[in-house]
Amino acid sequence: MHSLTDNALMLKVKAGDLDKLGLLYERHKKRLFGFFYNMNSNAMISEDLVQNVFVRMLKYKHTFTGDGAFTAWMFKTARNVNYDYYKKNKIAFHQKEVSEMEYKLQDSTDTEKGIIAKDKLSLLQQAMGYLAPEKREILMLSKLKEMKFSEIAEVLGCSEGNAKVKAHRALKDLRTVFLQLEKR
Amino acid sequence: MEKEQFEITMVEYLAGELTQTASSEFEEYLKNNPVQRAEFESLQQTWGKMDEAVVPETSEAMDVRFFEMLHIAETEKANKSTGFVEGLSSFMSLLWRPQVAYGILLVAIGLGTGYFMSTNTAQSDTPNTVVVDNETEEVREQLVLTLLEQPSANQRLQGVNEANKIEKVDEKVIKALLQTLNNDANVNVRLAAIEALVNYVDKPIVREGLIQAIGHQESPIVQVTLADLMVALQEKKSIAPFKALIRSKELDTSVKEKLESSIQQII
Repeated sequence: MHSLTDNALMLKVKAGDLDKLGLLYERHKKRLFGFFYNMNSNAMISEDLVQNVFVRMLKYKHTFTGDGAFTAWMFKTARNVNYDYYKKNKIAFHQKEVSEMEYKLQDSTDTEKGIIAKDKLSLLQQAMGYLAPEKREILMLSKLKEMKFSEIAEVLGCSEGNAKVKAHRALKDLRTVFLQLEKR
Repeated sequence: MEKEQFEITMVEYLAGELTQTASSEFEEYLKNNPVQRAEFESLQQTWGKMDEAVVPETSEAMDVRFFEMLHIAETEKANKSTGFVEGLSSFMSLLWRPQVAYGILLVAIGLGTGYFMSTNTAQSDTPNTVVVDNETEEVREQLVLTLLEQPSANQRLQGVNEANKIEKVDEKVIKALLQTLNNDANVNVRLAAIEALVNYVDKPIVREGLIQAIGHQESPIVQVTLADLMVALQEKKSIAPFKALIRSKELDTSVKEKLESSIQQII
């Protein structure tokens, strides 16, 4: 069964057997979609971004060495795709105050079509929306059962201890925003 | 415990990355430090709530778009190799100047004369090699089919191993391997047949055969191997036969649990 591990499949893709990317897609599409959806709450955009990740994996397949875990390499790509999406659409990649965000949510129906109405999201998902994207990102990555913190640190390009401290602070912030929303 | 160390350990605890001993030590620490315990409990609640976040299902259109993209990439790759031939011919046309043509002509005359004057009339080996290769493959296929019918499990195992060596396997061999997987009395031979078939999972007939084989298996290890394979392939069609297998009374309890978790992973 060794020939069917993620790393083995990606190495086959690298060697020119592009067909094997189909198996990797089936295996990881949900996880990637969940990651993007939790980042932007927009199913349509998230599907596009999943597609972009695989396009980029094909384009940069030569950079895959097979030394580290495939999921870490994949999420590094996903992270870049997400960052480029923010940059391209000139969406600010920094934290907003709760009151400011409220205003944006009411105002942005034209520009961000497809965003699910605020009341359909759970309170926690709304709270997530108020966090800075990099905090949302680390929380999403820490929740993936398949990824250890050593791999998350590789994705984020920081030390393992640093990744854990960041995750802790992001969780604390999420808690604060969540309580603020709950009081309303 | 220092603040930063406390934060790190808490995250490790929540993410399930602590060993059992370290977890108990952390729990003990919390018991003796009410302030930290309160902080931990509030964050643990938020951590748990994150699991409740609902993510919608992906659409079929996403799959269609992905496989279209993959198909285009594969076609482009195929074109690139023909592009190389075209590139070579345009390079050759660049060389097509009178001086070069004259040079090539002279070389050709030299070679031609050499060829006719040579007493050694050995022909090129290439066509022979191809014929020999084809013949070897045919003989190997025959060998596989014969070995798989032998009464000795050892020889049947050898037959399955021979099948692994065939580069372009034909339907006859695949059917023989599937029949071995369904009917062979020896568990090791059946497992080896699965391993051999894994090489050809790209072929629909193999996937179909593997799915049908699920219902025929009684050995727990074969059932579990097939379940792992189906998870790896994300083969949705295998869910129904697995569910039927779970309903049967004779099934081992741990296998039942394994199959249930595999179904979850496929869904």
